[in-house]
Amino acid sequence: MKLQSIIKKYLLLLFLVFSVVFLSGCWDRNEVNDLALIMAAGFDKKSDNTIELSVLLYIPKGGGNQQDMNSAGGGGYETMVRSAAGITVADAMARLQEKLPRQIFWGHTDIFLFNEKLAKEGIFEHVDFIMRHPQLRERAQIFVSKQPAKEVLSLMPPLERDLSEVLRELGEHEIGMSITTKELAQMLISDSGDCALPWIQILPPDDKNKPKRTIAYITGTAVFKKDKMIGKIDDMLTRGILWIRDEIRLAVVTVKLPQTKGYISVNLSQAHSKLVPTIENGKWKITLKSETYSDIVQNSTHLNVSDPAVVKSLERQIEQVINNRIELARKKVQKEMKADILGFADAFHRYYPKVWNKEKKRWEEIFPDVEVKYETKCKIRRQGLHS
Amino acid sequence: MLERGKISPVQMALFMNPAISATALLLVPSITAKHAHQDLWLSPIWASFIGYFIVFVSYQLNKLFPNQTIIEYSQQIVGKFFGKIIGVILLLFYLHITGVIVREYGEFVSGASLFHTPMAVIIGTMVLVCSLAVRGGIEVIGRAGEIIVPVVLLLYVIIFILLIKDLEIKNMFPIMEKGITPSLMGSVSPQSWFSEFILISFLLPYVTDRKRGMKWGMISVFSVTVLLVLTNIMDLLLFGNMTASLTYPVMVAARYISIADFLEHLESIVMAIWISGTFIKITVFYYAITLGTAQLLKLSDFRPLILPIGFLILLFGLWSSNNLEELSLFLGTSGAIYILSIQIIIPVFLLLTGFIRNKVQQGKGNNENEAPVNH
Repeated sequence: MKLQSIIKKYLLLLFLVFSVVFLSGCWDRNEVNDLALIMAAGFDKKSDNTIELSVLLYIPKGGGNQQDMNSAGGGGYETMVRSAAGITVADAMARLQEKLPRQIFWGHTDIFLFNEKLAKEGIFEHVDFIMRHPQLRERAQIFVSKQPAKEVLSLMPPLERDLSEVLRELGEHEIGMSITTKELAQMLISDSGDCALPWIQILPPDDKNKPKRTIAYITGTAVFKKDKMIGKIDDMLTRGILWIRDEIRLAVVTVKLPQTKGYISVNLSQAHSKLVPTIENGKWKITLKSETYSDIVQNSTHLNVSDPAVVKSLERQIEQVINNRIELARKKVQKEMKADILGFADAFHRYYPKVWNKEKKRWEEIFPDVEVKYETKCKIRRQGLHS
Repeated sequence: MLERGKISPVQMALFMNPAISATALLLVPSITAKHAHQDLWLSPIWASFIGYFIVFVSYQLNKLFPNQTIIEYSQQIVGKFFGKIIGVILLLFYLHITGVIVREYGEFVSGASLFHTPMAVIIGTMVLVCSLAVRGGIEVIGRAGEIIVPVVLLLYVIIFILLIKDLEIKNMFPIMEKGITPSLMGSVSPQSWFSEFILISFLLPYVTDRKRGMKWGMISVFSVTVLLVLTNIMDLLLFGNMTASLTYPVMVAARYISIADFLEHLESIVMAIWISGTFIKITVFYYAITLGTAQLLKLSDFRPLILPIGFLILLFGLWSSNNLEELSLFLGTSGAIYILSIQIIIPVFLLLTGFIRNKVQQGKGNNENEAPVNH
């Protein structure tokens, strides 16, 4: 009896020890020192039917000689760029793996770059890879670059750790457009299927002898018809587009009041806009209702900005400036490029589902002729600390 | 009686919630979205009526035969031979469904994180853990539910709260663009999940307070509805029409969370929710099969059956489909009808027959003693 209970105890112990083998999930163990952490990836066109995948890899460093590296003035030695060509992204990735002693790990990829040439031929198939791969995160941001992606990735930014950090931070400021993988995929399957991505180019370096010590920054927006890039707009027009898309977060508006010298600048603290579509007698119209709250940040006129009458006329003036900005951007995108990156199609679909379902095949013809009206309201809230 | 343990109605309601919702949370949003598009949040509401109905039916059956499970009273109602056939059908059905559930679990774990681990190991370890819980009997399952379910729900709510800043209300419109039909079509597959509430007919005999059992059963259905509606709204507001093309929308949603640059990469929370929820779900199904088999074969103990049945569940899990797409297609189309028909037609048929029989016998035996159908 006693022997039996002892045997039982040992069997239980053996079972527990044995289960450890399974509990660790050893089939899929991933040691950090076996992984190649990809911080950013770029896609270039290599030849007619191949693309080149370039990745920015993080090089883990021991603590020892890190200081030497920094004092040598190099900085940025903690990353490297490797690339490989292939028919598809997945193919290129397999080729890339051949050149890397460690296993590719996508879990930390924050940035994807498409070169302009590739973007002009369509990005849908590449986005499919990004959305499908289980390691890739949907919050990664996507950019279109003027220079080859490989060149952009190999820059050594002076202020940040590497280029992926630079672009991620720039994207988060939302001064220009900021698009995540999820948002891009949503735009691609939206009613119009047209999309827009931030456009970046390399900032000319301060020191001609160190051409790599610079960054790439957002200078506008690449406009896509379906998944093919058809053109780009500059940063001023981009801000007009952001107003329509209700994505504006940070803006400084400078106005000149009539019959005065000097300028008044206001800083936007809150802005919201809404598209209200109407269809009357077969005429498709959109009203853009926007509301902003601003603070005065600079006043170089002799006007007293605490006088309500002055504030009133200032508000009207700001509304005028904002409307003009939006109008310029809208004309360019709607009349010239004929790409619905403004979200008009979705707005009509939401308000007039029945009409939309009948007419959606004609959207390409309807879109350039949609009439747009503005109802902009601006409120000045604070005058700053000095008046 | 095979099972001497007792559980409170609240315990039952608690573990019935993940027993229904655990697998539904990950797979149903995208299956529903394929039919219902932006109305996918309405579908669980339509589907929940099946849940209320099934809880009502099993409570009425339990009122007729207070101390018996569905396996036992089916023999009382339609006779020994046909009763046993119904029992065999039910048990084989649950064996298959548990296999499917186990496979859903395995597909998720291997598809989302353990890419190289063999399916048999992923499923096998889970079944082994569940078998320990089943061995403990219903009280252990009840207590496990009490510990796990509140944590799971809390984590789930946290995910929802962290996502609020990324949600866009406009994705919800236009509501009912093509009338009510798409959302009803979308509700077919959640209906099959709700019909799994018939499992409480295995549990009601061991619930201490039957009257509150009905009430808490209904509350459980309601909580599952709320959970599914919340999940669907979350996915819809975050992804819009993209929901249908994602395999595990909730997983992607959790991955999308990013608060102040450091609160990121939270998909492991979904993993924890999913695994602990599925643990409860598999355990409840596993328990029902084991107990039912023992009752069908008139054994004196159900424990010797646990490991053999666990092995069968493992095999059914491995054989139930070749890949996730097949599984998802099965659950969205023929599977829904298959699950619904067995879990609704059999209990309703039993209830009607039992009811008529009771009436007839009461009419016949007015001068005899009451309760003619007892044993």
